[in-house]
Amino acid sequence: MGYKVKLNIFEGPFDLLVYLIESARMSIYDIKVSEITEQYMRYISEMEQMDVELSSEFMVLAAQLIEIKSKMLLPRAGTDGEETLGDDPRTELMERLLEYKKFKNISEMLAAGERRAARIYEKPQEDISRYTDEPDEYLKLGINEFVNAFDLFLEKKKKLAEIRERYVRIERQKISAETKMDQIRGLFETDRNRALPFDELVADKKDRYDIALSFSSLLEMIRQQRLTAEQQALFGEILVKATDKLDEEPRTEENGEQEKTDTEGETA
Amino acid sequence: MTGRSIKSAFEAMMFTWGEPLEAKTAGEVLNISEKEALDYFRELMDEYEQENRGIRIRQINKSFQFVTQEDNSEYIERLCTPVKKRKLSQSALEVLAIVAYKQPVTRGTIESVRGIKCDRVIEGLVSKELIEEKGRSAGIGRPILYGTTDNFLKHFGFSSLKELPEIEDIEDIIEEPEYDEDGITVNQVSMSDMPEV
Repeated sequence: MGYKVKLNIFEGPFDLLVYLIESARMSIYDIKVSEITEQYMRYISEMEQMDVELSSEFMVLAAQLIEIKSKMLLPRAGTDGEETLGDDPRTELMERLLEYKKFKNISEMLAAGERRAARIYEKPQEDISRYTDEPDEYLKLGINEFVNAFDLFLEKKKKLAEIRERYVRIERQKISAETKMDQIRGLFETDRNRALPFDELVADKKDRYDIALSFSSLLEMIRQQRLTAEQQALFGEILVKATDKLDEEPRTEENGEQEKTDTEGETA
Repeated sequence: MTGRSIKSAFEAMMFTWGEPLEAKTAGEVLNISEKEALDYFRELMDEYEQENRGIRIRQINKSFQFVTQEDNSEYIERLCTPVKKRKLSQSALEVLAIVAYKQPVTRGTIESVRGIKCDRVIEGLVSKELIEEKGRSAGIGRPILYGTTDNFLKHFGFSSLKELPEIEDIEDIIEEPEYDEDGITVNQVSMSDMPEV
């Protein structure tokens, strides 16, 4: 099995025939049928030798050419010896070739047009949905809905501002959280033996955060054995006392925050 | 509305629209007739031409569209490399030629002119939207009738089917075959005689 190759040189039997006629400098109006038939058959057999698949239409035209050729051999004169016009067996083929030639020429004209038009660029349909979709939504709103929407917006903005304020405060106190223990230590600086109620450790007694911060700092310092605390009764007053380890910095902590506390302590 | 402001409005509309904008649609926007709209569009077209602008207005039937001036193609291709360009095959062009001049036309007619089967080519041209079904013939089997589309006009640079050169002009060239010494055939002769599109 060889390869079957389809060549696009000749677009059909007419294309081939027109080419042969023109190469032989023949006129379509006066085709030398026997010469052309011979060339046509030679081309077809060459193609077959090269195993080129030719469509059946090429064979049909070959048969027609042979038919015309044989008719040409017959005398076209009538019994009285006069040649009858319009009896030319080539007429039909000539007409079909002329018709084909006409459209082949048009196709060449189109090809030139195509080459030219290919140099012109256009933009595809613009996406105009952004102009057409959104306005509808706005227009559907009544004045009350619009007021409500605006109120909602203001409220949201207020809440956001509140959250932001709190966030900033927390941020500030987080920093002070690390120095809170330092502050507590400071309270015992003047008198190491005094006992301070927990309330005195809290700077702003109304601030829940400060209370919590002071308490957790106290717990941390107890853990570090720098302070001790006593509570006589449930919900009673907590008395805080310093131990002799009050000034000892917790150096063995693996935790980064604690290390940071260390360095701050050193600079202070 | 003054002519100046109508044309200005059309420019804005064409810019926004992208695709060919129908004169009728554009006219309706401004409450003017299709005929008036067509006249203003053509004036605008001439103005762009006279001013030698890089953007031109192209007419496709009764629609108008901004396109680039063809001499700028080189720069566009450099800007947007690689530009994909597929030219139609010779057989596609032949079928198109037959459809363009004989429309509405059946597949049978096309095939008898070309002397070869054309179903695949026709299919391809339909999918490329260069030709389309225009109805059915009353003949046996009610075969499909094909005609060209607006896309065909665009693809070959015609503003309407009326711009297709007269078939007689092309036939004249065939009737007087001239061969020079090199045996250059009718084809080349007809190329140089090609009407400006």
